[in-house]
Amino acid sequence: MALENLRGRVAFIFEEINFDVDQIVGVKNIKITDIDELAAAAMQSYDPDFRSVVRPGDLLVGADNFGYGHPHYPPMRAMRHIGIAGVLAESFSPGYWRGEISMGFPQATCPGILGLVERWDEIEIDWAANEVRNLTKGGSLPIDPLSNADRAMLDAGGLIGYLQGKRQPAA
Amino acid sequence: MGYTITEKILARVSGLDHVKAGDEVMAKPDFITAYDFPGYTDVYFKQMKEDFGIERVAEPERIAMFIDHMVPAATPKEEELHIVTRKWCAENNVPLFERKGIGHQVASEVGYAVPGAFVVHFDGHISQLGTFGTLAMGIRRNLLEALVNEKISIKVPHTVRVNLTGTLSKGVLARDVFHHLVREMGPASCRFQVLELGGPGMAQLTTEGLQTITGLAMFTGAVTAIVNPDQARLDYALPRARKKLEPVYSDADADYAKVYEIDLDALEPLIVIPPTPANSRNLSEYLGLELTNGYLGSCASGRLEDLEIAARILQGKQVAPGFQLNVVPTSNEIMVAASRAGYLATLTEAGAFVSAPSCDYCFGRMGAMSANQRAVSTGTLNVRGRMGSPDSEIYLCSAATVAASALEGKIADPRKYL
Repeated sequence: MALENLRGRVAFIFEEINFDVDQIVGVKNIKITDIDELAAAAMQSYDPDFRSVVRPGDLLVGADNFGYGHPHYPPMRAMRHIGIAGVLAESFSPGYWRGEISMGFPQATCPGILGLVERWDEIEIDWAANEVRNLTKGGSLPIDPLSNADRAMLDAGGLIGYLQGKRQPAA
Repeated sequence: MGYTITEKILARVSGLDHVKAGDEVMAKPDFITAYDFPGYTDVYFKQMKEDFGIERVAEPERIAMFIDHMVPAATPKEEELHIVTRKWCAENNVPLFERKGIGHQVASEVGYAVPGAFVVHFDGHISQLGTFGTLAMGIRRNLLEALVNEKISIKVPHTVRVNLTGTLSKGVLARDVFHHLVREMGPASCRFQVLELGGPGMAQLTTEGLQTITGLAMFTGAVTAIVNPDQARLDYALPRARKKLEPVYSDADADYAKVYEIDLDALEPLIVIPPTPANSRNLSEYLGLELTNGYLGSCASGRLEDLEIAARILQGKQVAPGFQLNVVPTSNEIMVAASRAGYLATLTEAGAFVSAPSCDYCFGRMGAMSANQRAVSTGTLNVRGRMGSPDSEIYLCSAATVAASALEGKIADPRKYL
């Protein structure tokens, strides 16, 4: 199964460099496991109406070193529940990147993305052409190609599917 | 063009003559390490059985489990997690290290820091095995790949080389050196790359100091840090080594993505202000800031030299009234040595609360702060809520700075006490 292109609006732009994703739900909510509670907590300090204005397939955009700090899984669990389909950033912090790719959540590195898009622009991430296109205003930028393993993991919907597809002798 | 120590290690574990940065390979970790934590190990155990049909692991000697968080247990639920871990280890014949200290330190003590070995964990602070020329990476949930498959997919990382030069001044510790690297190079300087330390300034750093620096590598964006082990590191690691391997070293003409020259001569004590480990500042800018708490411990401190310098500063004095100082030796081996040397008696007499080794003070499970409290800490991290309330504050610094600040109840310069 080939990774499908992502087409959606830029639902939010995190302009802060070294952005700590835990802030999306707030540190005091980071231990919530109920997905509805988490989703209700998400983005409250950025845009309280976020949940009602997002449409399934919308995307997030971040700045340099997105996911720095000590990233936990709940913030992006909440975002996926709300309908967010992936994240584009100028660059990513490796721990965050590895964690979300293993959840099957598409991430794309796109140097220059902050200059290409504004909030609510419709964009498309094309994994075959390795580029992101601004469908609202025109223009495009290359994205860094995914490694084979990352692509395979996204294709498989995450770590478990990926591993089940390639069983070897166990440790 | 030659090869880095990282490329040489990954070539061996991939069964290839050589690999270069950027290659995607399938690598067999020499050791798979983890501590038990809800949502991690309990889930792995379940997934291995239910999703992958693994009733017993094939090579139990490759796996090491640690119980160092939630030690001692505070609730029946925590103890139940430990019971699950003990049972799994017993059934699988997997070595379990419980109540021995913080696993990243204990891993070195019990022989998993084999020079030239490749080690994985879900937690990135395992990078501190790099002190001994071990390539040790935190791979988060992907640790499951190492538990269910013999090999894991990995892209050989590029290496950023840092050459240290110069001499450390009195009262400037390895901890300050690390935060200086973040300040000079930037919190994204080594993203997806290995931080390799070298240069004549290495002579200024002890094994314990290097464990501090390599253990914090993730805050430069690095996937790990590594050192080409000198005789002192080999003398520590080889007699304990659980696997016989030939140590490897970077070639003189190895290919580095970038080389930094970092001068230690002019370095002053640093402090990292909340809420991110990217915020290194000169300690001198924050002197006098009122404090309520101090923490000396974690996998990034709490070793013998940290306890020694704190004891030297607090010898015959008292912690400021109302100030809570928690001191947590990193492992039992260290606690015993510090006890025999008299450091723990000195610290206790000075008013410190000395705990047995545990990870729990670092993430607010123990010694939690309430809103508006403010700590100096040698813990790993200063993000909001890390040590209790999201409205408390954590200033990261060296063990010497924690001790000096404990005396004054304010952020203080350790140099005047040394």
